[in-house]
Amino acid sequence: MLLLRPFTPRSGRRPGGGLSVNRWALLALPAIAYLMIFFLAPLIVVSLRSVTEFPKPTQDALSNYARFFAAETNLRVLANTFWVAAISTIACLAIGYPYAYLMNIVRPRIAGLLLIAVLVPFWSSLLVRTYAWQVILRDTGIINSFLLDTRTIAEPIPLIRTTLGVILGMSQILLPFMVLPIYTVMRRIDPEYTKAAANLGAPPFAAFRRVFLPLSMPGVLAGALLVFVLALGFYITPALLGGPKDTMISQFIANAVQRGNLDWGIGSAMAVVLMGLTMAILFVASRFVRLQDVFGSLDEEG
Amino acid sequence: MRPALRLSMLGAAAALFIAACTGGASPAPSVEPSVAPSIEPSSEPSAAADICTSPPRADGKTLTFASYGGAYQKAQRQGWLEPYAALTGITFQESEDSSNATIKSQVETGAVEWDVVDVGNDFGLDANAALLEPLDYTKIHKDEILEGFAGTYRVADITYGVVLAYNTEKTAGAVPAGWADYFDTTTFPGKRGIYDYSAGGIFEIALLADGVAPRDLYPLDLDRAIAKLDTIKSDLVFWGSGAESQDLIGKGEVTMSLMWNGRAYSAKHIDNKPVEIQWNQQIVTADYFVVPKGTPNKDLAMDFIAWATCAENNAAPSDYIPYGPTNKNAEPAADKVPDLSVSNADENSAYFDDAWVVENATLLEDTYQAWKTE
Repeated sequence: MLLLRPFTPRSGRRPGGGLSVNRWALLALPAIAYLMIFFLAPLIVVSLRSVTEFPKPTQDALSNYARFFAAETNLRVLANTFWVAAISTIACLAIGYPYAYLMNIVRPRIAGLLLIAVLVPFWSSLLVRTYAWQVILRDTGIINSFLLDTRTIAEPIPLIRTTLGVILGMSQILLPFMVLPIYTVMRRIDPEYTKAAANLGAPPFAAFRRVFLPLSMPGVLAGALLVFVLALGFYITPALLGGPKDTMISQFIANAVQRGNLDWGIGSAMAVVLMGLTMAILFVASRFVRLQDVFGSLDEEG
Repeated sequence: MRPALRLSMLGAAAALFIAACTGGASPAPSVEPSVAPSIEPSSEPSAAADICTSPPRADGKTLTFASYGGAYQKAQRQGWLEPYAALTGITFQESEDSSNATIKSQVETGAVEWDVVDVGNDFGLDANAALLEPLDYTKIHKDEILEGFAGTYRVADITYGVVLAYNTEKTAGAVPAGWADYFDTTTFPGKRGIYDYSAGGIFEIALLADGVAPRDLYPLDLDRAIAKLDTIKSDLVFWGSGAESQDLIGKGEVTMSLMWNGRAYSAKHIDNKPVEIQWNQQIVTADYFVVPKGTPNKDLAMDFIAWATCAENNAAPSDYIPYGPTNKNAEPAADKVPDLSVSNADENSAYFDDAWVVENATLLEDTYQAWKTE
């Protein structure tokens, strides 16, 4: 994602002129070299592999792509990937926006605690948290055991191996990526604006809806874009919490790479398709938001 | 055994790249590895005869052994690596993340770090010839290995069973007789665990349940298998790792499961759960030793493989885990015999036709995923 516009400082925002910006930019050289070696080069290898490696010799450089798009299963799973990512994003937004709003209006000490609360799970392994969700959600898990023991239900309710399970697991993992950008933007909104709106006669909700909400939209867009793009690549969580219909494209990529006849050609093609679609989304998004604001918002706390 | 959910595409690519960058950093000494100096120069045939009891010394040499980690690799370490190191003076380096994909990336980048690799039954056939060294059957006693378990590029090191395991609490003491009962959710209510892999036995057990004789399984009648699987599709719970299957059956999340016999054993004896194995209609299969192409330690690797598949040594890991020998003359400890796949094999047991499965891997996978995600 960073590769779209790696460093376009648009110097107008920073006082001091172009020269000093360039000198500071030298500090980014190790990071750029790192990205080139460990990020860009593998991407090129993968892209090349998708048009050069085939299970059976062929003259058609695009045969892996042809195979991919010819199978209805692949398209269904690809569509499901975007669907699950979209629902996860909405779920994160529904929880994340009120949470960030709360962080913004409470005293700093409470805000700090709320921040820690959202970050603590973030510091433990994704796999561990997904297994924890299994323990909670499954037929013999905490929720169903309790409901069965209290005779509230006669049969376990299907929580695990459902789309609901996937969304719960994914949105918990992705929540910090929604909360942090929104909170950062909210912090920058001058409280005087809403006070001014109130002084001019706006009821509290109108002041929120017509003044605060529009001003916080850059954070919402940033968070939504981050969560959506990250969600597209999930595969452990849907594999462990979802049912067969919740399969995501990354699971197919992993299967192609590891299994059977080690069909890295089509695995690479799938990865390129996913990457292409993700970039297309970022491109469309860039017409509405400045991407450097999106991906830079985390460290630009005002 | 097979960690199914591991590499992402990007991870694989990164591994490729890292392997390329560290190429040549292999710890192998560059001296000629063929003849160990302390042994009198013996002719090839007698070396083969002696290899089981006194393998050639390899002081100062290092061999990298890759397997699937956990209790499994520990059993291999205690049964094979430690005794072999004591006999020969060799040092073992171990890797616990055996994967076909890693072998491919090591060989393709010319940075082969693994010398002996334990792989699953879907790997090591002619389809992978470009990635593997042909085994040295002047050293390995091929005639003693079970029929069909020794090929050009691979020799089975342990056997195991793909079995029907059941939770006796969930079946209320009733005993399922075979795969037909796995599909009978009326007599045996509850969910069914299944390995989430097209070549992991799902099609085979459906056909066995539908009355196909074990010897008539191949070529697989996929339409018939799918029709049978459709009858319990909503009851299936797909597991991706052995640990997951052990957990599902132990907790009673599923009533029955297709499992590897070692995992069912662990559910019963390690986790102390009410789990039993129905050996009838098991699929007997194996893990295999392969040698990645281009390893500088090829001869050392062949010596070790020959030694570990000898009648005297092959059953040693069975003392620690209920996986069985592949050498017909090997004798596991008497108290371990009842828990081994090979000792429970009978005329109802089935065997994977690995060659057919690998040849049709794409068809199997496409059929499976189309059915599963529908």
